Amino acid sequence: MALQPAYLLHRRPYRETSALVDLLTLEHGVVRAVARGVARPGSRTRSTLQPFTPLHVMWRGKGELKTLTLIEAAGPGVLLAGEGLLCGLYANELLSRCLPRDFAVEALFAHYGALLPELAVPAQRAAKLRRLEVTLLEALDADPVFSVLKASDTGSPTMAALHPQERYLYDIGSRHFFEASHSQQGVDGRTLKLLAQGDWEAAGLARQSKWLLRQALLPLMGDRPLRSRALMQSLLEKRRQRAPVSS
Amino acid sequence: MALSPLFEKLTEALRTLPGVGPKGAQRMALHLLERDRVGGERIVSALAEALEHIGYCQRCRNLTEHECCAQCSDPRRDDRLLCIVESPADLLAIEEAGGYRGRYFVLHGHLSPLDGIGPDQIGLEQLEQQIVQGSFSEIVLATNPTVEGEATAHYISELLTPYGVNCSRLAYGMPLGGELEYVDGGTLARAFTGRLPYSSQ
Ligand SMILES: [Zn+2]
Repeated sequence: MALQPAYLLHRRPYRETSALVDLLTLEHGVVRAVARGVARPGSRTRSTLQPFTPLHVMWRGKGELKTLTLIEAAGPGVLLAGEGLLCGLYANELLSRCLPRDFAVEALFAHYGALLPELAVPAQRAAKLRRLEVTLLEALDADPVFSVLKASDTGSPTMAALHPQERYLYDIGSRHFFEASHSQQGVDGRTLKLLAQGDWEAAGLARQSKWLLRQALLPLMGDRPLRSRALMQSLLEKRRQRAPVSS
Repeated sequence: MALSPLFEKLTEALRTLPGVGPKGAQRMALHLLERDRVGGERIVSALAEALEHIGYCQRCRNLTEHECCAQCSDPRRDDRLLCIVESPADLLAIEEAGGYRGRYFVLHGHLSPLDGIGPDQIGLEQLEQQIVQGSFSEIVLATNPTVEGEATAHYISELLTPYGVNCSRLAYGMPLGGELEYVDGGTLARAFTGRLPYSSQ
């Protein structure tokens, strides 16, 4: 096989000196493989095979579990620290959890690669993670459908366009919207129309796009919440607790 | 070919040790049975005692058969310094390197969201307790320079912010006696970002 561009999503110890790795690859999607001898002290690939580093790999084997035959750095890795690092782990956990094996999405690979350096910039993090989430949802045909489900007299619901002044809630099952009642907050149709045009990264829509994408991702997650997200939330919570109470 | 069921059982058991394959296990078993039965008895009793009595230190989670480990009960160590490590092996490495005379805390792991390992599994509640009860002025975050070790260091430093202690992190450096040309890119990049003012004094 030819050299395959890849990123390491996760590695765990395997046997005494090897590692079991999950890679995001350009043409084969998520691939699980054994990296032989990388845990040996002094192994040259030990420090190359790190998350957030563009890699070139080759493997053999046709089954579920491949064996890596070559691991090379394809460029400098991104040095993430602090919150940026947790965001990187979130991206990795999201992709490992939601992407089926051997399902290649070139757009996702490109977005992931472009995302990493942005995670080092605090102001960019949220917007770029939203972009990755949308790309993932679109790839899996699980993205929100921007039209309204309305109950009708005949029993079968009818479809209608979003109205800018109306407020809506998202229905996870049907991936459509429905009108919010007076007691429910929901999101206005004008905002949803902007998201429908692809304005996921707009600073003014950060809260709404997060709200919507979180719900859209739920069916892909199963019943276990993402650990890296829980970690970030617990830190936020601690920070909030010690912040002076402002009026 | 197997000598006997008991012999087989022994070699099987020896293979749980790291670095021991079938051949090595067979050699060890033959050595103990043929040449050193007394040594074998010593292993048996030492192992049984260790397994029964060695647990975690109540303060720092280091391995010990006492309530408090040797590092915690040594009155000559510096009570203002606390070094947080991932494993007892890391503690031993720092002790052997010498130079550090403060206290320790052993996590027995690191945060690893993708493996489902969170703050509850690495004793952070006990760590907070130690900080509250102690009088530490500096916490050395000596977790591994891996993504998980880095995330753990970040989480702990945030966790300890309210207690007004300073956190430091071991520097990323060049290997001593190494040649720049052969150092991998990641290490070199980290060493560059962590470079220090040059002093010839
Ligand atoms: Zn102790």
